[in-house]
Amino acid sequence: MKSSWWKILGVALLLYAFIFGLLMPLKPGIYAVTPDNAITGTTSLIRVEGYNTNFTKEAESIKVWLKLNDTFALMANKIQVIDDMALNASFDIPVQLPIKKRIKNFTLVMDHKVDGASVSPSAVTLTQKADKVDNISPQWTTNPIAGLTIVNKFNFPFRNILYETIRNLYFHVSLWLAMMILFIASVVMSFKHLRSGKPEDDWKSLSLTAAGTLMGFLGLFTGMIWAQYTWGSFWPKNEVKLNMTAVALLIYLAYFVLRGSLENQEQRGRISAVYNIFAFAALIPLLYVVPRLTSSLHPGSGGNSTFGSEDLDNTMRAVFYPAVIGWTLLGVWMGSIMYRAIALKDKILSR
Amino acid sequence: MNLISEITFLLRKELTIELRQKYAIGGILLYVFSTIFIIYMSFNRIDKQTWNALFWIVVLFASVNAVAKSFVQESGNRQLYYYMLVNPSAIILSKIIYNVILLLLLSLLSFFAFSVVAENPVRNMGQFLSALFLGSMGLSIAITFVSAIAAKANNSSTLMAILSFPLVIPILLLLIKISSNAMGLMSDTAIRKDILSLLAIDCLLIAMAFVLFPFLWKD
Repeated sequence: MKSSWWKILGVALLLYAFIFGLLMPLKPGIYAVTPDNAITGTTSLIRVEGYNTNFTKEAESIKVWLKLNDTFALMANKIQVIDDMALNASFDIPVQLPIKKRIKNFTLVMDHKVDGASVSPSAVTLTQKADKVDNISPQWTTNPIAGLTIVNKFNFPFRNILYETIRNLYFHVSLWLAMMILFIASVVMSFKHLRSGKPEDDWKSLSLTAAGTLMGFLGLFTGMIWAQYTWGSFWPKNEVKLNMTAVALLIYLAYFVLRGSLENQEQRGRISAVYNIFAFAALIPLLYVVPRLTSSLHPGSGGNSTFGSEDLDNTMRAVFYPAVIGWTLLGVWMGSIMYRAIALKDKILSR
Repeated sequence: MNLISEITFLLRKELTIELRQKYAIGGILLYVFSTIFIIYMSFNRIDKQTWNALFWIVVLFASVNAVAKSFVQESGNRQLYYYMLVNPSAIILSKIIYNVILLLLLSLLSFFAFSVVAENPVRNMGQFLSALFLGSMGLSIAITFVSAIAAKANNSSTLMAILSFPLVIPILLLLIKISSNAMGLMSDTAIRKDILSLLAIDCLLIAMAFVLFPFLWKD
């Protein structure tokens, strides 16, 4: 029992990741804004649909703005709450837009005492039909966006398009990281085997590779399901990271074929260790260099923002890092069971 | 004997064997020319994108055919004899150098043949030739090393394909990108970075091959 504390830790961390990762609600946010366009010089009614919002509580504290930039923002003059998830905001839009263009996207900003501030970028397009008038209406500047409420609750961030699928971070990304850690450990074991020549090190390397490959496949499948919901296809075309993943898994499947085709145990251990190290060296450009050179839908490549800087906030980190450790420990556990099975089989066969 | 003189000696040996067994190199040349001829017959006009893809496919298969034999062709007894005489590092380095030269000549030849039958779409010759050079280098290093691994196993020809194709895909992707830039299919201002990362992959592969080969040969 004393030596298996890490197995209990791994299972506990995974249980924590599953329970909190799947049950913790998202922060309130704006789900839809209709209509998404309006003409200047009119009074237009814009319907805002919220997600996880409580509009009926303290309804008088709700404020809605159409924001152009830090200087110019137009506040809704009347707000009519329909229910917890929907409200109508009416805007008196001035004739003249505060910029030279005639068509411009505006961001919708909402503030609420209960739910906090939420933003829907490029929500409404305003079109200026009338000819240019020289003065900019003071309405654009009289009610600046100020005094936004910040609510500190332990909730996951609300992101447009992602919505609830943001929880896949704890499965897809952490499975990938666990796979990388297991592969690195297996390469270390291969080095050890080349130096010592002990069959035990080879078996450890094999078991870790098998567990890592399983994690890789699970990471691929969770990513594919997620991609179906957010990118609209299980296997988006020309998505470089997916193709590289397929190639990386081919490399590791080839490792098992190579092992199968070598009969002498000593030779099998040595040659598959050499191939494992060589394949890992070829995997680094595959997974880290090539995707950065071309554009990709994934974060962290081709001008997309990386996860660390913007998208991953502290509440998500509190589940993500334990999930990585949990998956890794589970992989090591599976690998150790496989190692023991190989060692026992060898003991029986060599008796 | 020090390493350099061993390498030159082994290179001379490779060349002598190649010239004695002319059917091997002849077979590869025939393979390249017949493939290009089939391409020429089956396409009326080859657009640039197809040219790019077909060219690198021909080079890839030519390199697998040409390089695969480097370890497979020599019998275990003869290899044992070499290992008694020289340093294993000299063996892998000489094989790699020989295969780089062979593959460079082959790819230049197929480039020439392609230009004859299906015009030459390359605008930036320097870029294309550097891709050709670094690409043949990377392909021959990876495939030489894989052939050293596959030679130890029973079904070496199947293993050659499944072990080497996934390993050379990053190199091929970079090559296709650089050459399509050289043809003016796309314009990337940071293409120098791609060439540098190709060079970095080559260096990584050659370093791994150099370090790992001594473990591979002793039986």
